[in-house]
Amino acid sequence: MDTDELIAGQRRAILDGDARAAGELARRAIDAGLDLQACIDQGFAAGIQEAGRLFEDGDFFLPELMQSADAMKAAMDVVRPALLEQSGAAPSGPKVVIGTVQGDIHDIGKTLVATMLAAGGFAVVDLGRDVPLAHFADAAEREEARIVALSALLTTTMPGHGKVIELLEQRGLRGGVSVLVGGAPVTQGFAREIGADGFAPNAPEAVLEARRLAASGP
Amino acid sequence: MTRSIASLLAERVVLLDGGVGSELIARGLELGRPPELWNLERPDDVRAVHAAYVAAGSDVVQTNSFGASPFVLARHGLGQRAGEINTAAARIARAAAGTQRLVAGDIGPSGESLPPVGAADPDELADGFARQAQALAAGGADYLSIETMIDLREALCALRGARAACDLPLTACLTFDRKKRGFFTLMGDAPGDAVKALADAGAAAAGANCSVGSEAMAHLLPELLAAATVPVIVKPNAGLPEVADGGTVYRQQPIQFAADLARMAALGARAVGGCCGTDARFIAALRDALSAPDPASPAGGDV
Repeated sequence: MDTDELIAGQRRAILDGDARAAGELARRAIDAGLDLQACIDQGFAAGIQEAGRLFEDGDFFLPELMQSADAMKAAMDVVRPALLEQSGAAPSGPKVVIGTVQGDIHDIGKTLVATMLAAGGFAVVDLGRDVPLAHFADAAEREEARIVALSALLTTTMPGHGKVIELLEQRGLRGGVSVLVGGAPVTQGFAREIGADGFAPNAPEAVLEARRLAASGP
Repeated sequence: MTRSIASLLAERVVLLDGGVGSELIARGLELGRPPELWNLERPDDVRAVHAAYVAAGSDVVQTNSFGASPFVLARHGLGQRAGEINTAAARIARAAAGTQRLVAGDIGPSGESLPPVGAADPDELADGFARQAQALAAGGADYLSIETMIDLREALCALRGARAACDLPLTACLTFDRKKRGFFTLMGDAPGDAVKALADAGAAAAGANCSVGSEAMAHLLPELLAAATVPVIVKPNAGLPEVADGGTVYRQQPIQFAADLARMAALGARAVGGCCGTDARFIAALRDALSAPDPASPAGGDV
């Protein structure tokens, strides 16, 4: 198998949601001494981006996207330590604190975003569901998070997003932390109104938005 | 004596009701608190919401038990109270409905996901739904309405559990989003396949609720009608949500909603009502639209 074939296989493993194959092809790339960053960019990450596009189009659904994210995570768990040796890159990406806000017990979307972010190289601290609003500020401070990601499924709980932003401001944390909001009823307009830095309508776009926020600096 | 839902559906278009949780919030329910607790704490307020729908013309009122499966209640630390909460929900609705209207025991999604998305066990799901169904039946529900399901498999678990727990008629609605390729549940179930499978599993009627407004629902309806072997239910939201004052509001006017739904009834939908953002005004407008001589133009022009 030449390098191009290997990288194509890595992309395919992610699209197939095959965690075992993804891990194995990551190991093979390490053994062959390949440029691991190229494997990520053209292989694994290209696969997860394609999965996200298929999800938005309605060719992939939650089960397929979840399996692709799990495969991506399996590959990255193998690649990350080797990448550190090869290039001295940071062992993990920017830190994200994520959770569903107080009063809201829904977590399917939040968990998917957390998985996709972890697959995308972020260090994810998942606070769970029905999280007291102050806990987001506590965790952002304790974890020195770069991003706080907030989810709500209910129109009645989404105002909690704005209150978390106020809490971060009150504690003087707002300068170093970007706030990303989402959830079924959350819109771009709502995000703007409450002063959030980022908004995403679905999990694949949440990863792109988190990358944008991390790159734009606090 | 109360008619059965099956005979009513066979005879004419059945008018369902609208949103319940939002109406309880309007009456002072604290945000983030489970609305179903009011079945025990504020039964008169719950009854008043049902009564408003009865006055508006609903043939059916749905119990305040959407989030009263043992799974959802457990997330609020109330799992052990599922029985009393559901039985109270059915009793309250029964009192408001009297003997002339039907009480539909409302069963919503568990919030748990079956593999590969989550780790829920189908038998445990069916058992939990059975407990809810049994308690709703004990409180006097005429039939059980499973709705807002995002996974056909979970809806089938609910049908199986409810059937094991009681002899009441069962109906089931999934919730579909609009994608580039058409309408699908979050898990990828297509509307036609879904209503067929729900009917095969014993649903007396099947259809779609929530997620989309009346305009998109009108596009989804033909897919349901083409495949359904049982009467079709549609319960859209009040248009698309808009942002205002740090929250979401639905701005569609009842008259437009009613016109869309009456057109769907004319096309073959047999049970029509509203979901998020709809209230008794929507149901009253829909009642008028359904009784208009030409259901294709029920508003008669001026709004």
